[in-house]
Amino acid sequence: MTPEKQDEQIDLLQGTLDLLILKAVSLGPLHGYGVLLRIQQLSREELVIQQGSLYPALYRLEHQGAIGSEWGESENNRRAKYYKLTRFGRERLAGETQKWNRMAGIIGDILRATPEEA
Amino acid sequence: MGDKKSEVLQGTLDLLVLKTLHSMGPLHGFGIARRIEQLSEDVLQLNEGTVYTSLLRLQQQGWIASAWGTSENNRKARYYSITRLGKKQLEVETENWERFAGVVGRVLSQEGQG
Amino acid sequence: MGRLRVFSERMKGLFAQSRANREFEDELEEHLQLLTDRFVSQGLSPREAASAARRQFGNGALLQQRQREARTFLFLSSLWRDVCFGARMLRKHRGSTVAVVLALALGIGMNACIFTFVNALLLRPLAGFKAPGEMREVWEHSRNANGIHSFMPLTYPDYVFFRDHARSFSGILGYDGDPEGIIWNRSGHGEVLHGQLVSGNAFSVAGVGVAIGRSFTPADDQPNNPQPLVILRNNFWKQKLGGDPGILGKAMMLNGTNYTIIGVAQPGFTGFQVAMAPDFWTTLSMEEQLIHDPGRLTSRNTNWLLTEGRLAAGQSTKSAQAEISLLAREIELAHPDTNKAMDDVLYSFAPVPGPFRGYVTAFTGMLMVVFALVLVIACANAASLLMVKASGRAREMAVRSALGAGRGRLIRQMTVETLLLALIAGCAAVLLSYWTSHLLLNLIPTSLPISIELPLDWRVLVFTFLVALITGVVFGVTPALRGTRVDPAGVIKTEAHSGGYRKSRLRTVIMIGEIAVCALLLFSATLCVRSLLNAGSIDPGFDTQNIAVATLDAGSLGYSDAKIETFYRELDRHIRALPGVVSSSYVNHLPLDASREQTSVIDESLVATLPHGIPVDVFRVEPGYFKTMGISIVGGRDFVQSELDRKSKVIVVNTAMAARLWPGQNPIGKLVKVGDAKEQSEVIGVVKAGNYRSLGEDPIPVLFRVEMPSLRVLVVHTSKDPGALLDAVQRQVQIVDPNMAATQVQTIGSFMSLPMFAARTTGLLLGASGILALVLTWIGLFGVISFAVSERTREIGVRMALGAGRGDVMRLIMRQGLYVTSVGLVIGIGAALASARLLSALLYGIRPDDPATVVIVSAGMAAVAVLACHIPARRAVRVNPVVALRYE
Repeated sequence: MTPEKQDEQIDLLQGTLDLLILKAVSLGPLHGYGVLLRIQQLSREELVIQQGSLYPALYRLEHQGAIGSEWGESENNRRAKYYKLTRFGRERLAGETQKWNRMAGIIGDILRATPEEA
Repeated sequence: MGDKKSEVLQGTLDLLVLKTLHSMGPLHGFGIARRIEQLSEDVLQLNEGTVYTSLLRLQQQGWIASAWGTSENNRKARYYSITRLGKKQLEVETENWERFAGVVGRVLSQEGQG
Repeated sequence: MGRLRVFSERMKGLFAQSRANREFEDELEEHLQLLTDRFVSQGLSPREAASAARRQFGNGALLQQRQREARTFLFLSSLWRDVCFGARMLRKHRGSTVAVVLALALGIGMNACIFTFVNALLLRPLAGFKAPGEMREVWEHSRNANGIHSFMPLTYPDYVFFRDHARSFSGILGYDGDPEGIIWNRSGHGEVLHGQLVSGNAFSVAGVGVAIGRSFTPADDQPNNPQPLVILRNNFWKQKLGGDPGILGKAMMLNGTNYTIIGVAQPGFTGFQVAMAPDFWTTLSMEEQLIHDPGRLTSRNTNWLLTEGRLAAGQSTKSAQAEISLLAREIELAHPDTNKAMDDVLYSFAPVPGPFRGYVTAFTGMLMVVFALVLVIACANAASLLMVKASGRAREMAVRSALGAGRGRLIRQMTVETLLLALIAGCAAVLLSYWTSHLLLNLIPTSLPISIELPLDWRVLVFTFLVALITGVVFGVTPALRGTRVDPAGVIKTEAHSGGYRKSRLRTVIMIGEIAVCALLLFSATLCVRSLLNAGSIDPGFDTQNIAVATLDAGSLGYSDAKIETFYRELDRHIRALPGVVSSSYVNHLPLDASREQTSVIDESLVATLPHGIPVDVFRVEPGYFKTMGISIVGGRDFVQSELDRKSKVIVVNTAMAARLWPGQNPIGKLVKVGDAKEQSEVIGVVKAGNYRSLGEDPIPVLFRVEMPSLRVLVVHTSKDPGALLDAVQRQVQIVDPNMAATQVQTIGSFMSLPMFAARTTGLLLGASGILALVLTWIGLFGVISFAVSERTREIGVRMALGAGRGDVMRLIMRQGLYVTSVGLVIGIGAALASARLLSALLYGIRPDDPATVVIVSAGMAAVAVLACHIPARRAVRVNPVVALRYE
């Protein structure tokens, strides 16, 4: 990925995206597009993932062993690759969620601090 | 990229830098890095060099300005300070971030429904 | 809003880049230093502290680069990087760079050179004219019985009629088409100048101003009250009169009359015709005093005025043409005998007169095509060379591709490299064309008062760089596309087993194409050169070796007729006394020069079949002319002196005229009426027809008469070298009359260079192009075969190890080269024969499909091919099989 692409990417943490994907898949096996939809649903339409970012993330997670894939049939009877969480993925989801929460908390604290609280 | 340590996205870092300058007044790059390190209690592990990428971006957008001055140990250093435009943006961006973090947090806390 | 701001910041970032880079470097260093200090204070050793600081900071170099890129436009900065990288690559492979640049510079340069002349003659507007686009030339046009169009200048009465009656023009100017050689008597010392007669309104209609003094007005140009006034050319004033503004009002003695200098033309204005730069201008009314040809202002038979008019507001060429045609009809009705079947046509105004524009365009167009073909060969060479280089860099490309450089990026980079090459070649080409075009100017015979200025015109520069750019794109595309079509894994793997020789079909096709084009060029060039050699031996009907000539105008000094005759008789006497002189005589103008006198001749006994007679060319000669010039008298006799003195009505005709009027009869004694004459003239002699207007023409009827004008050409036949006689002739003129000076003193051979000029130049240029093409093709073939040999080293090694002899290997290598050559030859010569008809107009005495030429070209190219293949083949043979096999 070239530096320019990174700058223009939708404002989403790479780690955050992975996390969201793991979370989506943890609620049940999904194919790629389904992941997208579920994240949208879970966030009440507030989070829209670009397809261009989704698939590289899926392959990366699969490569890292956090998710596994198998071929199945989709709703309209087409062949699709379904992803589901592995045991390692489940552990990772838990650990990363914790970390994320803590980081978000800290960042929030920093941002909310008034100048006097330096 | 190969920066494994940078878990904080560029945009978020920009925000932190901006906030730091707003709170602390004019600082040089090293100072900014130290402040962030201190506030985050070492949880935010970043390559300090990325601070400068942030600073350049913020400068190009006109949210901060820079000037040469002398540092504490009498060396020449470049000081950055927030502009009026930057202050306005800080409010807006902080709001955005709160919303974003809120949404993601909610998603992550959903219980499984099969 | 933020986008705009970032954009402008990046624009600003284009400047002061190095300073920004340096400052950032300092900032980084400072930060690292502080980090290191911190670690030291935490207890680490200085070295550990430094590396810890570096680790915490992250990749400094990468950061610097990112900063550099983010500071300004990524595209531009990476483009600049490509340019620098490309330049470095070019410098690294110096050999091939020089070869390609040289080939391209030659090809582009030659094209640019031709274009320089095209520009000077056809495109560049004449200096000094105001709005030249509004001007239209007026020519008299007629069609004779054979359907041949003839375009003539106007007669003075016709010009005046148009000038005064044409409403569609705001003004029509006229000028004498031949700048005359005038003797300037500068306090007793004679110098020859060139002057031009122009109408009183010429300068104002053209919109040309004066640097000092004033310009002509119509009042200055009244035929019943001619005013001896001159305007000088600016450069002439600066060079010969020291640029002194005090010369206004002073007098100049020109051809015996005192003229007053009333002005100096604006700088840069060199006249109304391209390539002619007269030293001064005077009015048409002064015609008789200046050139001593009385009656031009009234004669309806003398066509001598070139005319141009400025279109009036709101007028178009069509409307003006309509009016002119109407006016021409009026003239025709008023003067049926002189203006029969003549209409007048308009041409848009350009440096080269309208009727000739077609020829000039065709001629230069052909030359450009020829050199464009040479350029094509050069490009093919360059492309081949680059493809060879590219395949050599396949490994580098593969590595870079594996590292993530997209194919688009690689292509862009190679294109930048080839564009750089083309740019360098373009610069070299500009220099080359400038130098060559000035060199070619020296080919112009000095007998003509031609001066073409060839400054570095912007049009030529644009043309050159455009051609260079197109060339770069054309020959750069294919190597770039092919060179980057790499499979990274595949290439790096196969480095280990440099397998069989991948015959590049494309390269073979290109080579065949090169050879075909080269054969085509060589064929045409050989044809032309041989035709030139033939033309050199065409017999124009007179002696071309042993004659010296000189032009004299005794009338220019205002002498009376009697004094003129005395001068010429005296001179003749002196000349005959010179050692080596066999005979001498006079003629009013030489055959094959630019002058022409025409008239019509009527045999009243033939009035039934030829009511208007036939048109003939006229030469005025003195007795002894035919003998001096080596023209054979085939019937009757030459003129005698008494006939000259008494101006008898006798004429000599040539065989063509005799054949036209009296086929099969003896023309001696026949009576004809010549032109306007009341009395008849008697034919007393017949001479063999030769060439009078151009070499190789069809026979023209010509008559010779003895009424001599005051301007004559002295012709001298010598048994020695005529060149040695020139000084003596000039000296004798001075001895007979110190006020006289002869002009255009030269040998007949030097005079003949003028008619031969076009053919000679064509032959030279075509010959040069042929040689150039041959050299380039040879280089190309050599390169391709060499590369083939190096690629097949392993194969050769195997063959030799398996028992192949040296001869077998040589044959193997040669076979490919000869195959390519023969295919190319067949195609090329085939194309040449098919298109040879186009050349037939230029060829003297040789058929376009001349078989000898085919043989010559084939043999020549085969020899070149053998040479090109021979050296690499020998190198191949010296391959040591063991080494070759180990060469992995």
